[in-house]
Amino acid sequence: MSLLDNTQMALESAMSGSMIEQSTLANNLANADTPNFEPSNVNFQQTLADAMSAGQSPTSVQYTAYTQPQVTSANGNGVDPNVTDAQIAENGLLYQDLVQVAAAREGILETAMNTTTSG
Amino acid sequence: MSFFDSINISATGLTAEQTEMNVTAENLANANSTNNGTPYTPQAVDLESIGSGNTFQDELSSAMGNTSGGVSGPPGGVQVQGIVSENVPAQEVYDPGNPQANKQGYVKEPNIQPVTEMTNMIQESNSYQADVTAMSTSKQMYSSTLELLR
Repeated sequence: MSLLDNTQMALESAMSGSMIEQSTLANNLANADTPNFEPSNVNFQQTLADAMSAGQSPTSVQYTAYTQPQVTSANGNGVDPNVTDAQIAENGLLYQDLVQVAAAREGILETAMNTTTSG
Repeated sequence: MSFFDSINISATGLTAEQTEMNVTAENLANANSTNNGTPYTPQAVDLESIGSGNTFQDELSSAMGNTSGGVSGPPGGVQVQGIVSENVPAQEVYDPGNPQANKQGYVKEPNIQPVTEMTNMIQESNSYQADVTAMSTSKQMYSSTLELLR
């Protein structure tokens, strides 16, 4: 039994996945005017869920971006800035959720440690 | 992948939009520059994405057949490949009183449509704001991570 359980590891792994998704989405938005640019995205929840149901350790999960071949404007660019903006906002909120849950769980550990030292 | 990648990527977007805005402003400022017979040609910005197959590592792994199917390298943002002259012919305006008019009384003026340039400017300004929003979301993510350590 390690100090940090599998759920805590999964939360931290999801945080790093969310960070990669943030970079990918920021890249899409930065290239919103680049001709023939194909947007990409990271589905970190699905990757993590698949890995965990296959019995893999959450710390060993690799998150990779996949391209979305689509064209939304005349210069061959596939980025929809409004959709990307919404995805970035959603990802930011999701990340903060993950941080809060991780912090709350670490708070429980901390309380346990303080109880043993003071008692 | 470093922790500050997403902020740097947004920054490259800001730089690119800033350059586009400068070029648009220059086009508008030179809308009537006849330059003694060789009128100003409107300029345009050529953008290209950084990363995703440009690095040595990506080239090597793709040469060795290690294609993972998706994006190969980490995303690196956008960069200005160059500022190019647009291939539009100058327009001839009838103005016999102008010292630069030819025998028929026509003056060659740059073919710049203020409405088009204004539309470009609005689009660039919107993209810039979108990049700023993405940057501030990334900033909030980092701040919330720091909250973990308190």
